[in-house]
Amino acid sequence: MPVAVGPYGQSQPSCFDRVKMGFMMGFAVGMAAGALFGTFSCLRIGMRGRELMGGVGKTMMQSGGTFGTFMAIGMGIRC
Amino acid sequence: MEEYAREPCPWRIVDDCGGAFTMGAIGGGIFQAVKGFRNSPVGVNHRLRGSLVSIRTRAPQLGGSFAIWGGLFSMIDCSMVKMRGKEDPWNSITSGALTGAILAARNGPIAMVGSAAMGGILLALIEGAGIMLTRFASAQFANGPQFMEDPSQSQLQPAYPFGDYRQYQ
Repeated sequence: MPVAVGPYGQSQPSCFDRVKMGFMMGFAVGMAAGALFGTFSCLRIGMRGRELMGGVGKTMMQSGGTFGTFMAIGMGIRC
Repeated sequence: MEEYAREPCPWRIVDDCGGAFTMGAIGGGIFQAVKGFRNSPVGVNHRLRGSLVSIRTRAPQLGGSFAIWGGLFSMIDCSMVKMRGKEDPWNSITSGALTGAILAARNGPIAMVGSAAMGGILLALIEGAGIMLTRFASAQFANGPQFMEDPSQSQLQPAYPFGDYRQYQ
């Protein structure tokens, strides 16, 4: 395989960089998914107004953290 | 990009299955360690033992269910690649939805629809994030990726030429 320089010019991103990038990406995806699903589930259990905002935010942070961790691991085992 | 420099098709199933198992086992290990530590009675010995027990019981389960998801997902993905003759984000989204539906098949049609929607939305989000990331990376290297000029690397199929995605949005 002729990858002497690395396809992206000066530097192949290092392992830690890729793990970090995976975490950021997973966090973003998890935030978005948490916003969607958290809204539904919080509405279903009858939250409204300010309480709803808090519930959705909590779900977003939770699922973002979970997703980010898993995505980071997924990047980590492949580098 | 990690997502698109993947294995060629039949072997991708094995690759995804194993990768998903490892991911689930490690991630489940981390989360279950914390959970077992917190759920145990007071005392460092009890807590350590509790977290060990909960890792041993739950982490392989989570790994197994991840592996089932990953394996079925890439099986459907590969079938769709063969049937449609091209690889694009719609393949992943559809196969995510189908995987969710199939795995919830024993819980009845309503659960199937819900699970399919969840899988499809999740995969759409992941694909969207990948596209955004690719676009960001291609904007960062303004003079274009250098491997396009090197003919000896053209058989590598480098990560889908950037801009190929734009027609799908």
